[in-house]
Amino acid sequence: MTVNEESLMWVEKYRPKNLNEVVDLHDIVESLKAFMRNPKTMPHLMFAGIPGTGKTTLALCIAHELFGSNWKNFTLELNASDERGIDTVRERVKDFSRYSRAGFGDIPFALIILDECDQMTGPAQTALRRIMETGSRTSRFILICNQSSKIIEPIQSRCAIFRFSRLDKQAMKDQLQCIAKKEKVKLLPEAAERIVDFSEGDLRHAINALQTASAYKEGGEVDEKTVSLVIGEASPMQVQKMIRKALFGDFIEARKTMYEIMGSFGFSGTEIIRQVQREIFKMSDLTPEQKADLSNVIGEYDYRLTQGANSDIQLSALLAQFGKFGKALGETY
Amino acid sequence: MRNDLLWVEKYRPKKIEDIIGNEEAKATFIEWLKSKRKTKKAVLLYGSPGVGKTALVNAASKEFGFTIIEMNASDTRSEKAVNAVAKPATSYLALDTFTAESKGNLLFLDEVDGITGNEDRGGVSAIIDIVEKAMVPVIMAANDPDVDKLRPLKKVCLLIRFHQIRLPLIITLLQKICLLEHVKSDFEALEHIAQNSKGDVRSAINDLQSLSGENHVLTLQDTMTLAPRNKDISMDETLRGFFSAKSVEEASSLLFRSSVDYDEFIMSISDNLPRRYANPDELAVAYDYVSQADLFRGRIGTEYWHLLKYFFNDLSKAASVAPESYKPFEFISPPIRIITLFWTKGKRTMLNGICGKIGGQCHVSISKAKHEFVPFIKIILQKQKSSALISWLVLTPEEVDFLVKMNRF
Repeated sequence: MTVNEESLMWVEKYRPKNLNEVVDLHDIVESLKAFMRNPKTMPHLMFAGIPGTGKTTLALCIAHELFGSNWKNFTLELNASDERGIDTVRERVKDFSRYSRAGFGDIPFALIILDECDQMTGPAQTALRRIMETGSRTSRFILICNQSSKIIEPIQSRCAIFRFSRLDKQAMKDQLQCIAKKEKVKLLPEAAERIVDFSEGDLRHAINALQTASAYKEGGEVDEKTVSLVIGEASPMQVQKMIRKALFGDFIEARKTMYEIMGSFGFSGTEIIRQVQREIFKMSDLTPEQKADLSNVIGEYDYRLTQGANSDIQLSALLAQFGKFGKALGETY
Repeated sequence: MRNDLLWVEKYRPKKIEDIIGNEEAKATFIEWLKSKRKTKKAVLLYGSPGVGKTALVNAASKEFGFTIIEMNASDTRSEKAVNAVAKPATSYLALDTFTAESKGNLLFLDEVDGITGNEDRGGVSAIIDIVEKAMVPVIMAANDPDVDKLRPLKKVCLLIRFHQIRLPLIITLLQKICLLEHVKSDFEALEHIAQNSKGDVRSAINDLQSLSGENHVLTLQDTMTLAPRNKDISMDETLRGFFSAKSVEEASSLLFRSSVDYDEFIMSISDNLPRRYANPDELAVAYDYVSQADLFRGRIGTEYWHLLKYFFNDLSKAASVAPESYKPFEFISPPIRIITLFWTKGKRTMLNGICGKIGGQCHVSISKAKHEFVPFIKIILQKQKSSALISWLVLTPEEVDFLVKMNRF
């Protein structure tokens, strides 16, 4: 494994640089290697899958394999959720393909990595499709998204699509142990198990948790207790607070907390609802049936959020439903 | 004088000195009209209705011997129309300019804020064109000077603001008219009329005439039927009426009458709903209706306004979930959302800045950095105060401090 010594976040430091270093994902890696043997045949690519499964990593690997150490000159990395509007994307892509047209050595194109494409609106995607068409002689796109179904069909049909599934648990544990060894941290097997369980197949999350746990004890060992502590500390507290207040009938306070979360952290309605969903399943004082019922309610409002005009209203309405649910719970005890 | 005249016509000011109030505006205007070499060829008189803008123009032109050529909102003011009427009137000095009686023409465009986008296409630019080429004074009047499309006009005009007429001035005028019309009136009655007019002399005189009736007696009792002239129902009033409505019909007819901004209104409902329904079950039902109203708002977007009735319908249902439990309560008026967003702006900007730096180093978006890196980096920085991460991420001391002390999500 090559180590990127300058990086201090372990996720960056131990991010594989070329396709040979990638653990798991054998099928995808093999197909990509085939492209690398004759880069001119490489089509536009689309990587779809849940977070932390190596989509960005593979995209960067391709950049390294194609352009070597000066990959940065021939690669444009854009994040659809950060760039404001398709116009910015269009301008930057246009400028980029103008200045790096020459390509590198045998490779007649430059690489454009567009992350979180599923955040783009329909019209923006239509514009993107046009950009892909006009730019395809001088550049190749790697589109990265969580759900390929959110990408319009014309774009899908222009790409070779690779689906990334949950990483294998054993492979994740091996990877964590490997990093721990390099960092001279003793990672106890139970601790590794706990991290992997908690991360639900998201390697980035797992490595971040490992690094944080090792910061607790300088040069010591990482045990299960420390990991639990980190997980507790790093999990959302305000969202928990909001849910509990709502369930216990203090609607006004719950709603105030909701606004604090939106205000202080700048979270969108969708982000909050996703966290609510996650937190509900972690609550130990609810039965599985109750969780399922609540989840149904959340699902309804998650959908309304996408259809309505104002996410505050939908979130408030969800909290009111929690109040009703909590009241019913109280009566059955 | 004939008796069937409207008093507003009958007592329309004939001379400048007959116009009450706004002494400063009058002086500025007259100075402009009299000056031979005008710094600006046009004036824009603005202020609420009935404060004497048109009256001043009429009286002044009479006094100084100008012939008024007038266009107002009832004439269409497309470019063509403006040019057809106004251009000839302004391009040539009248032949009798140098005789004693007339100083020539004067173009008066009343209600310029009534120029609409479609029918009066090009109207504003045509007016500007005329002002620039005009050889005679151009006078414009408007109620609301902040209308966007009038902005270009402001550059070429001298702006003169008219204030609402003060109460004592209106009362004195009403007393004078009562005397001339032989109306016996209580002072309180006149005071009430004046108050109700909100500084609008025209409406005060109209009210006086309609209330004194046949028998020429006016008591305070007679003025009690006065309706507030401002027909718009304010946010507070709408909320009050909305929450105290006894039925869906009552609430929805109120919504149709009110002119509050829908998006602001639904936010206010959302803020105040928990104060209205203490019972969680009722609150949940009411919020469900508000949520459905919001769904319709989403469908309306910017073009399907015919769906507004369904939006109102759902909102009205939210008002009458449990009519029997209604008790008056104090409204939260500035929306909680706006206040919170205002107070937390600094925090948000700081966090986004930090996440931008993390995103740049770790190939993730700001939002991902927020969710997946910040919670961990925060703990690492708490544990290791001088972590090398700080310089790697190029964090400022303030940003480090912010991260360490930050609340958990």
